[in-house]
Amino acid sequence: MNAIRNMLDSFWGRGDASITIPSMDGALRPNDLLDQAIEVQVVQQPDNLTEYQGGLLYSSGNKIFQMNMEASAETPPRYEMPNDVSCLASHPSGILAIGTTAGILLRGSKHEGTTISRLSGRPLACPTALVFDGDNSLIVCIGSDRLSPGEWKRDLMEQGRSGSVWRIDLVGGESTCLVHGLGFPYGVQLVGSGALRVSESWSHRIIQFRPGERPRPVLADLPGYPSRIAPATDGGSWVSVFAPRRQMVEFVLRERDYRERMLREVHSDYWMAPALSSGGSFLEPIQGGTVKHLGIRKPWAPTRSYGLLVKLDASGTPVASLHSRADGKRHGVTSCLEIGGKLAFTSKGGGVIACADLNLLKDEDE
Amino acid sequence: MNSSDTIAKWRSRFIPDHVVGEILTKEWIDTAIPVVMFIASIIAFSLLLPHFLSLGGIVELLRQMGELTFVTMGMAIVIMAGGIDLSVGSVFALANFLTLACVNYLAWPPYLALPIVIAICGLCGLVNGVLVGYLRLRAFLTTLATLIIVRALVDYLLFHYGSKVVESSPDSEFWDFLSFGTVFGFPFNYLAAIVAAVVLHVFLTRMRLGWHIRAVGGSRRSAHNAGINVRRTVCLSYIVSALLTGIAGVLYAARLNNAGTEAGVGLEVVALTAAVLGGNSLGGGRGSIPKAALGAFIVALFTNSLLRFTLPSGANPLAIGLILLLAVATDVRWLKNRHKLLSRVYVSPAYFEPPPLLSTAPDSGTPYAVNNKLQDAEPIGLDQVDGAEDIAFDADDNLYTGSRHGDILRFEAPDYASVEVFAHIGGQPLGLHFDGDGSLFACVSGMGLYKITRDREIIRLSDETNRTLLSIVDDSRMRFADDMDFAPDGRVFFSEATIRYDIFDWATDSLEARGNGRIICWDPRTNASRTVLPKRMFPNGICMIGDNESLLFAETWAARINRYWFDGPHKGKVECVIPDMPGYPDNIRRSSDGNFWVAMLGMRTPALDLAMKMPGFRRRMAQRVAFEEWIYPNINTGGVVKFDANGNVLESLWDASGDKYPMITSMREHKGYLYLAGVYNNRIGRYRIPGADPSFNDRHLYWDKRK
Repeated sequence: MNAIRNMLDSFWGRGDASITIPSMDGALRPNDLLDQAIEVQVVQQPDNLTEYQGGLLYSSGNKIFQMNMEASAETPPRYEMPNDVSCLASHPSGILAIGTTAGILLRGSKHEGTTISRLSGRPLACPTALVFDGDNSLIVCIGSDRLSPGEWKRDLMEQGRSGSVWRIDLVGGESTCLVHGLGFPYGVQLVGSGALRVSESWSHRIIQFRPGERPRPVLADLPGYPSRIAPATDGGSWVSVFAPRRQMVEFVLRERDYRERMLREVHSDYWMAPALSSGGSFLEPIQGGTVKHLGIRKPWAPTRSYGLLVKLDASGTPVASLHSRADGKRHGVTSCLEIGGKLAFTSKGGGVIACADLNLLKDEDE
Repeated sequence: MNSSDTIAKWRSRFIPDHVVGEILTKEWIDTAIPVVMFIASIIAFSLLLPHFLSLGGIVELLRQMGELTFVTMGMAIVIMAGGIDLSVGSVFALANFLTLACVNYLAWPPYLALPIVIAICGLCGLVNGVLVGYLRLRAFLTTLATLIIVRALVDYLLFHYGSKVVESSPDSEFWDFLSFGTVFGFPFNYLAAIVAAVVLHVFLTRMRLGWHIRAVGGSRRSAHNAGINVRRTVCLSYIVSALLTGIAGVLYAARLNNAGTEAGVGLEVVALTAAVLGGNSLGGGRGSIPKAALGAFIVALFTNSLLRFTLPSGANPLAIGLILLLAVATDVRWLKNRHKLLSRVYVSPAYFEPPPLLSTAPDSGTPYAVNNKLQDAEPIGLDQVDGAEDIAFDADDNLYTGSRHGDILRFEAPDYASVEVFAHIGGQPLGLHFDGDGSLFACVSGMGLYKITRDREIIRLSDETNRTLLSIVDDSRMRFADDMDFAPDGRVFFSEATIRYDIFDWATDSLEARGNGRIICWDPRTNASRTVLPKRMFPNGICMIGDNESLLFAETWAARINRYWFDGPHKGKVECVIPDMPGYPDNIRRSSDGNFWVAMLGMRTPALDLAMKMPGFRRRMAQRVAFEEWIYPNINTGGVVKFDANGNVLESLWDASGDKYPMITSMREHKGYLYLAGVYNNRIGRYRIPGADPSFNDRHLYWDKRK
C-alpha cells in the first residue's frame, strides 16, 4: 500500500514528493541586518566562535586565532593543528576542546593534552559541534560516520542519516551515544536541567531531549539548514542557519537518477546544492529568478547561499532574525556569540567576522 | 553514452511530447470529451442492442434527430451569446400547431404557409430578445415566462381547434417530401439540419455578426468597449434561436401530422442537455455549431436506444437529467482545469547531449581563458537603455538600438550622450542592420521583419512564412524574429529563434533543447518569405561570410556555430564550424581583420549540461518547481569571442565579474571600437580594440563606400 502511495505521490508530486518550503515570514521576515553589521575581521572561512579566558577564539582551516576587536592587523594563530579544526568549545575553568578531523583535543587546566580519537572503537572524524556539561563531561555532535565535516554537501545530497550525539566522560574516558540516526547534527546547546537542544541540519529542525529520552522537535520545517546553536543571554538560543532550502534543491533531492549522476560527474562546487557562498564562478548553476536585470540582482532571487541567524526564546519559538539576502555578501553563517548587547558571528561563506548591534533588532521590531 | 541516455534520446526522438501541449492550445479540444462519449456510446449500444447499426434503424434515428439538431443549434447560439432560451419547447409546439392549421385547416399552399409560421416563431424570439437584450431582464426567468405563456396559448388553440387541424391533409408533393422524403437515402430533415449547420458555422466563425455573438458571450463589457452593440446582438441571438425552433416545429408537423399536447414538452431540457453535452460552455463565449450537432446526436442516440430497452416509464427523463448533470459538471471542471493542464504539459523537454565543456580558466592557455578586458569598456546610455539587444550605425556614426518598450533609440555621434526615440514600432526590436540606402532593417519580436526609412517611415516587410506541413499550431505567423543579414542580391535571411515562446519567456526555450527555431528568407522581388532551414535550436546571429553564397548562424542552446550555403554548388548544405562553445553564442558580426565576432549571452554550467541529457528530469521540474526557481543557463556572465571562417577561435574578451556587462547578446565593430549590447544590461559598452582599423565600418563590406 505504501509503495503504491509513494509511486502515486512521486507521479503527482504530492506527499513526500512535494517540494514546498516555508516562506520567510513572521519572526523570519527578511532584513539586511547581517550586511549592516560592523566588520571585525576579514578571514578565510572563519568557523566556530567561542569565548575563552576572557577573549574570543575562532577557527579557520587548521588554525585557531584570538580575535582582536581593535587592531585589524594579522595576528599569529593561538593554536595550529595538524588537521582541519571543525568545532570548538570552552569551559569557564579554562578548558578548551578542539574538534578536528582526527579527533578531539583538550587544552588548558586539568585535561591538558587529553586526546579522544575514537568513539566506542570507531574513529572520530566528523565532530561538528561541542559543548561542556560540567568540567568533566563533553557533549559532541558527529555529523556523519562516513564523511568528514568538509564533505557536508555530499552527505546532504546522499541524504545521509548517520549523525549521532555522544557524551564523553573526560575522567573515565568512556563515551555513550545519546541519540543516533540523525541527519547531520550540527549544533548543540545545554538548556536547563540537563536537556540538550540539537540542530539536525538535513531535517531542517531543532530537536530537544534529555539523555535517555526520545528527541522531540522544538522547531521544525525551518526554511534553511541550521548549524551551531549559541545561548542567548535571556535564556533562549541563537541558531545559525548556514544555507537556505530551495525548491530546486528539494526537487533534486527527490530525483535519484539526476542526483547520483551529478555527484558522480560534476565537481562539488558546481552541484545544484546549497552552498556557503555563491556567484563566485559562472560554472555554478543559477536559477530563473537569479538572472540580473539592468545590472541588478534582486534581493529575493533564489540563491544557493544565504545568511541567517534566528533567535529562539526559551521554549524554542523564533522571535527575531538577522539576514543577508541574495544581494548581500555575508552568507554561510556557521557560528555566533552574544556578548554584551552585541552579536558576533562568522560568515564562513563571506570570509568575515562581524558584530551586529542587537539594538537594531529592536528597532526593526518597532 | 550510458543506457539511460540512449533510452531518453530515442524516446524524445520518437515521442513528440510537445504535441500534447499544442493540441491543448487548440479551441477544438473542447470537443474531445463529447467525441469520446459519442464513440463510446455507439460501441456500447451496438453491443447491447441487436440491429442497432442496421440501415433502417439509422435512417429512422436521423429523421427524428433533424428536429432536435435544429433546436439545439438555436439553443447553442443563445448560450454562446451568454444567455439561455427555455421557451424553445412551447415555440416548437406553436410552430407545430400553426403549420397544421395553415396547411390542413386553411389549406394554404405549404411554400406560403411555412415562411409565415417561421416568421411568427421569430416574433416570439423577438419578444424574448427585446425583454432580455434591450430591457435586460434575466434570461432564465424571462424565457421561463414565455415558455409558460406560449404553452398556454398553444393549449388554448388546441382545445378549440385541435381536432379540426388534423382532419385533412394537403395533396402536395412538396409537403410529402418534407414528411418522408429522402435524398440519396438520407432523410430530408436531417439533411436540412446539416445544410443549416454548415451555413450557421460559417456565419459564426467567418462573419462579423457571428464573431459579435461569441464576443458578447465571452465578456459583455469587453464587447461593449470594443464597440459591439451588445443589446442588439443578444436580441438577435434569441430571434435566431426561435427561427430555428420554428423550422424544427414545421418539420415535426410534416412528419407526424399530430396536434397532440405532448409536442415539444420538455424539449428545452433535452436541447439544453444536447448543447452543453456537445461542449458549448454555459458561461458563454465558447462553443460551436458542430458541437451542438454532436450533442444532439448523442442525446438522440441515448433517448432512442433507451426506449428500445423497454425500461419503466420515467427512465428516459431520468437519463436526460443525469446526462445534463454530467455535462454541466464536465463543462465546469474542464474549463477550470484546462489551462492548468496546459501549463503543466506545455514545456516539453527533449534529449540533447551537450558538447564537451572546454576550460575557460585564466591559466588554461586556451583562447577562451577568462580575462577582464571588458571592464575597461566605457558606458553609453547608462541607465537609459532597457532591452538593447543589438546595435547599428548609420553613415554619420549615430548609434541605434532597440528597447523593451518597442522603440528604436538613436544616440547622437560622436559622444553618444544625447538620445532620442528614432521610431516607435510596438514590438521589441532585436537584430538591426542598415542597408545601402540608409534604411534600417529590424527584426521585431512578435511582429516580424520591418524596415524604417531615413524619413522614419515604418514598413512591414514580412510577418509570415509558409506553414509547416502537418503542424498542429499554425506556425506561419512570426513570433520571434531575432537576427538578420543581407545577401548580395538583396534577399534578407533572418532567423526566428523559437516558434513556441515569446520574448518574455525566451530563456524557457533552453529547457526544451528542441529545434524550435528556423531560418527564413525574405525576397524583395516577390515580397514573400519562405522557411529555408527549419528545426534549429534557437538560431540567431545571422552573418554573411563574404563569399556571396554562404552565411554563418549560431544555434544558441546547442552552443554551436554553423555555416549555411544558400547559393552556389553547395546550396542547402549546413556545416558545423564551431561545435563546442563554452557559452551560448548569440549574434555574429564581421571584424576589421576579416574575421568574426560572436557574442556569448551566457555560460554553460555542468549541472545544466547534465540536465540536458535527462529530459524527464527537466519535464518534472517544469511541472513542479516554481518558474523563478528553475535551473537556468547562466546568463549572468557573458563574453565576446573572435573566430575565423574555418572555426578557429582566436581570442576572447570578458567581464568576468559580470558587474558591468553581465550578458552580451550582440556587438559591432565600428571605427576602431567594439560596441557591446546585452538585452538585460543597463548600458551599452564601447571597448577600444588595440590595433584595429580606425576607419572600419562593416556596412562597407556590403554596400558601395560612396553611399
